[in-house]
Amino acid sequence: MQKNNDNSSSSFGTRSAPKALVLTGFGLNCDWETTYALELAGAEAHRVHINQLVMGEEIGEIARLEDYQIFAFIGGFSWGDDHGAGVIFATKLLYNIGEDILRFIEEGNLVIGICNGYQAMVNVGLLPGFDGDYRSRTVALIGNDCGNFRDQWVHLEVEKASPCVFTRGLEHLELPVRHGEGKFYAEESVIKDLEEKNQVVVRYADSEGNSANGSYPDNPNGSMNDIAGICDSTGRVFGLMPHPEAYSHWTNHPNWTGLKERYRRGGEPYPQEGYGIQIFRNAVEYFRQ
Amino acid sequence: MVARLEITLKSDLFDAEGEAIRRKARDYFNIQLDEVRTIHVLTIDAQLSQEQLESARRQIFTNPVSQISSFKPLAPSFDWAIWVGFRPGVRDNPGSTAVEAMEDLFKIRFQPEEAVYTSRLYLLQGKRLGRDKRGYRLVERIAKELLANDLIQQWRIYSTEEWNPQEGIGIIVPKVRLAHEPTVATLPISSDEELQALSQKRNLALHPNDVPVIRSYFLRPEVRTARSEVGLSDPTDVELEYISQARSDHCNHNTFQGKFYYRDLGTGETQVVDNIFKTCIQAPTLELKQRKGWVVSVLWDNAGVASFDQDTYYVITGETHNSPSNMEAYGGALTGIVGVYRDPMGTGKGSRLIAGTYGYCVGYRDYRGPLKPHLHPRRLLDGVIEGVRDGGNKSGIPTPYGQVFFDHGYMGKCLVFVTALGMMPATVSGTPSEQKTTTAGDLIIMCGGRVGKDGIHGVTASSEIYSEDTPAGHVQIGDPYTQKKMHDFLLEARDRGLIAFITDNGGGGLSSSIGESARFSQGALVELDKVPLKYEGLDLWEIWVSESQERMTVAIKPEDLKRFMQLSEKHEVESTVIGQYTDSGRLQITYHGKTCAYVDLALLESGFPQWEFEAEWVEPEYRGLKEPVLGPPEGHRRILLTMLSRPNIASKEWVVRQYDHEVQGTSAVKHLVGAERDVPNDGVVLRPRLDSLRGLAMAQALNPTYSRIDAYHMTACTIDETVRRLLAVGGSLGHLGGVDNFCWPNIQYDPESNPDGKLKAAQLVRANWALRDYCLGFGIPLLSGKDSMYVDGNLEGDFGERHKVSGLETLQFTGTSVIEDVQRCLTMEPKVPGDFLYVLGVTRNELAGSEYYDLYGYTGLNVPQVKLKEVLPLYQALEQSTRGEILASVHGIYRGGLGVHLALMAMAGGLGLEVELTKVPAEGVKRDDVLLYSESAGRFIVTVAPGDRAEFEERFKGLPWGCVGRVTEKQKLAVRGLGGNVLFRVGLQQLKSAWKKPFGKL
Repeated sequence: MQKNNDNSSSSFGTRSAPKALVLTGFGLNCDWETTYALELAGAEAHRVHINQLVMGEEIGEIARLEDYQIFAFIGGFSWGDDHGAGVIFATKLLYNIGEDILRFIEEGNLVIGICNGYQAMVNVGLLPGFDGDYRSRTVALIGNDCGNFRDQWVHLEVEKASPCVFTRGLEHLELPVRHGEGKFYAEESVIKDLEEKNQVVVRYADSEGNSANGSYPDNPNGSMNDIAGICDSTGRVFGLMPHPEAYSHWTNHPNWTGLKERYRRGGEPYPQEGYGIQIFRNAVEYFRQ
Repeated sequence: MVARLEITLKSDLFDAEGEAIRRKARDYFNIQLDEVRTIHVLTIDAQLSQEQLESARRQIFTNPVSQISSFKPLAPSFDWAIWVGFRPGVRDNPGSTAVEAMEDLFKIRFQPEEAVYTSRLYLLQGKRLGRDKRGYRLVERIAKELLANDLIQQWRIYSTEEWNPQEGIGIIVPKVRLAHEPTVATLPISSDEELQALSQKRNLALHPNDVPVIRSYFLRPEVRTARSEVGLSDPTDVELEYISQARSDHCNHNTFQGKFYYRDLGTGETQVVDNIFKTCIQAPTLELKQRKGWVVSVLWDNAGVASFDQDTYYVITGETHNSPSNMEAYGGALTGIVGVYRDPMGTGKGSRLIAGTYGYCVGYRDYRGPLKPHLHPRRLLDGVIEGVRDGGNKSGIPTPYGQVFFDHGYMGKCLVFVTALGMMPATVSGTPSEQKTTTAGDLIIMCGGRVGKDGIHGVTASSEIYSEDTPAGHVQIGDPYTQKKMHDFLLEARDRGLIAFITDNGGGGLSSSIGESARFSQGALVELDKVPLKYEGLDLWEIWVSESQERMTVAIKPEDLKRFMQLSEKHEVESTVIGQYTDSGRLQITYHGKTCAYVDLALLESGFPQWEFEAEWVEPEYRGLKEPVLGPPEGHRRILLTMLSRPNIASKEWVVRQYDHEVQGTSAVKHLVGAERDVPNDGVVLRPRLDSLRGLAMAQALNPTYSRIDAYHMTACTIDETVRRLLAVGGSLGHLGGVDNFCWPNIQYDPESNPDGKLKAAQLVRANWALRDYCLGFGIPLLSGKDSMYVDGNLEGDFGERHKVSGLETLQFTGTSVIEDVQRCLTMEPKVPGDFLYVLGVTRNELAGSEYYDLYGYTGLNVPQVKLKEVLPLYQALEQSTRGEILASVHGIYRGGLGVHLALMAMAGGLGLEVELTKVPAEGVKRDDVLLYSESAGRFIVTVAPGDRAEFEERFKGLPWGCVGRVTEKQKLAVRGLGGNVLFRVGLQQLKSAWKKPFGKL
């Protein structure tokens, strides 16, 4: 885990493994676990500092987006989230490597944004990305209605009709949310468009899988229509507030000790992998097809 | 030019920040507001064109979906408005990131005098507020007691009438302007009295016994000769400040290394207790280190190092940040947590942070008495919670565990405990990671933030009792963003083998970090003019001792400089060479080539007299403590519900959920567990290496009320509780690491200002005896520890009189254990109906200092005691049962006793419990209330599957256990008393609503 080099590659990457770039620096902080989750899913993942893309030559460490197939905008507090979550992060991306990112998407690659990364993608306009327009800012993630940062696990229902590559075959997920600004907000017309175009990917639900209907804490932040994550029209660009990378092992789940007791008494094996890995595995599978 | 940009949410959007203020005004002050809306203000003091300003407004600072903004005032109608901004020189984190964003967007550099200042405008609507003087007073109260702290902030109040819609708040630029030429003063030392007076005047906090030693050093002929060669005569202010910092109790732990004349007034026996640090902390730990191969590095570095697995170490330390938090809760606690994070970063060649924890001891949230602390406990607690929240969350470090404790004594000074855990590889570039040294020729580099007037004399202030004249300059705001960048940078530098030595700049600033690191090479030459400053005009001594945050001092080889600087640039962290280590035996400081300090390092290592204390112990019964005459109660059901609603028992979920406890993906056992994930577990477990099943268990305890009887047993019980918390999650007796954090009231006797100082000194000695006895008994090496010795305050009462309020003698104990396979970890909730319920360990009549006695206002005499010989075999059996996976749940019995902890388990499981008290192993207990609420140490409650029952009972053969009942599907806790009668039967929902009543809506 303590690698000696930022760019050390996966030990279990294969020749066919897609390469994933995990963006780090400036207060982003889910880099190690996102890298690990991608590798567990079969990708060859590299932690890359934003400045390696922006000013690689000056610092003697160049990274090129064109060498990768999966681009992960991870969680954290970029620039302290001081002027709105993911705000300065978005400016930094847009005015330094904006064109590269657009080309990356156009070339058929995958982009995932989690929490702070999702907030930045929305602020850049990469999402919702209606019909290939990756520059219009039409949705926002604003302060939680509860007024506080909140860490809790949520139930998510996956929209089956969504074209999202990352959630293929998934129906129900449990993941942690950890944010102060995760309330999904857009004008009614935008929400309507999102829903009609099946770009809503995951929604907050209750433990039975019913819609949370805005009720706290099943919907932890007051998101409109319980929206927890959306994708672009192609399904290749995906953003969500919950953290799939934080559920890489079954013991991450808050009730695993109860599950274990049932497995143990029933003589069943323990599951090992956490369900969050499926999201990353879907991304890797996408390139294997 | 100066421009003022205002940003606010679109009017149809819910303003959560404003709503929180509306709610607090109602709940805290009973002030009814209809609505509060907030406007964020950026005051941009820079040479930017109109186009640039407009571009920054649109492209950076305004979200077109949710916000509107303008360079003209945005405020629509309101009844009152409050503007709150920082005072000059206070750290403005959003201001700095705003500069960074604009520099990047326009590809420009802001000039040193240019800056962005952030502030807030709050618009209050309240029909019942009134626009008259009374209305003003209410609004002023909101400004003063909710929104702003006058130590760091300024505010203005506007009525509708006064408001100029064109000008708005006008242009307010809190720029530091120091029209001051930096100077060095030479200070005369013709007599001890003169030096002592100087110490008072300059707030040096020199101990009177140190004064002659310092004077005689500067009068020594050979010293004077050497000094004259570099142009110095009498000591300079830089030198005296340096010595004062190094000799402060905070840095030097003079109290723990002092000499105690301990007298037992009962027996008349007197003994000299020389250096409790050496005898009670160092000696036992070194002895245990011999036996325990997993102890890697202790007692010298910023944090302790222990083995996690073959090629990884974990690093741990704990700190307190009481004085600053007491004055500015948010800033103090934030600075505290980011400060303690720098300790593992500066341990060995540097470690990566993996967790932090908190402990808050404060006055009661609903305090309504006459005393006037600087911050009401409610506001103070809100502030410290938020400070640690921002410090931890923004650093990307999980905060998986913590505790909150209320007691009136903490009104004088609150306690803010912060603990940090890190990880490092066992070797770095082929060398042992825990080792480091400076060598003559190494460059001294300062990394991270710049130096301002912040925090000057923080160290000496925390070595004093709080009073209104305590200089406010030591209050600061931490900057987790800058520190996170520095953290990532330094780890890369470490892994490339560039770091020879690293330490943090905390208390005492450069004075401490360079002063201490220079002892390795035996000398340093520092060029103070090279130190990057936030603003001009600091005197040299201020640069030297400033505690401006987020800085590390690093030693590197000259040949590594280029590579180091390139990495620094990559991470956009400022690093500056400010000098060189030498082997001259001296610390020499220059400013533009002229020497301003020239001190032999040896001065600080010898010649200073030990501090001395008189300690007088009086057994509790001779202090008038006794068991209360208390008849047996009848309303057992109501007692339990009342106990659950008491602040020290009630749910504190509102605190836990504000902390990101899962970042890094390492969470294996969380603090909140159970069917509804809302009951606190005994301890937490991390799986810090994602590619391994190994776990690191962590738990903390504090039991300060037992100190009312005897701090020896307070300490014993606190250590025992920590051990049980670790065992409950699956920890092992073979690997128990400890961290001791003492917070004590002043122990220096003074007939007028501290008449019970001798007793408090005796309590400290006794607590350390227990620390020694139980660390040896349980086999706990102390990986790290700290003490904070002046937990007292002088608070103003109703009539202008002042009351001294002292905190309880408090030890927070932190424990760690390494677990081979996290899949064997346990949580406290019963999991399957039909399981058997056991109580392990003996319950005795030990209610003194308990929550139950406190309910009636009693202290009592029978304090819980830890019988090592009795509990150790029980703990061994428990550990083996956990390892053998024959337990379904384990929970220790702590504050509140068996009754409270049965209720917690039932609530957690969402399952009923049927309990018969006759089956509980007990000694000398004849009453139901005693059995239910005694806080005897050494006890657990466990549940066991019917199929594992025989094996379980076999393992515990000969040990005190009782099968007290079953887990049921009924949603009830049902308890039969010693007489066989049903004492109470309470529904789980009812238990939970009582338990969540005090803080459930926060």
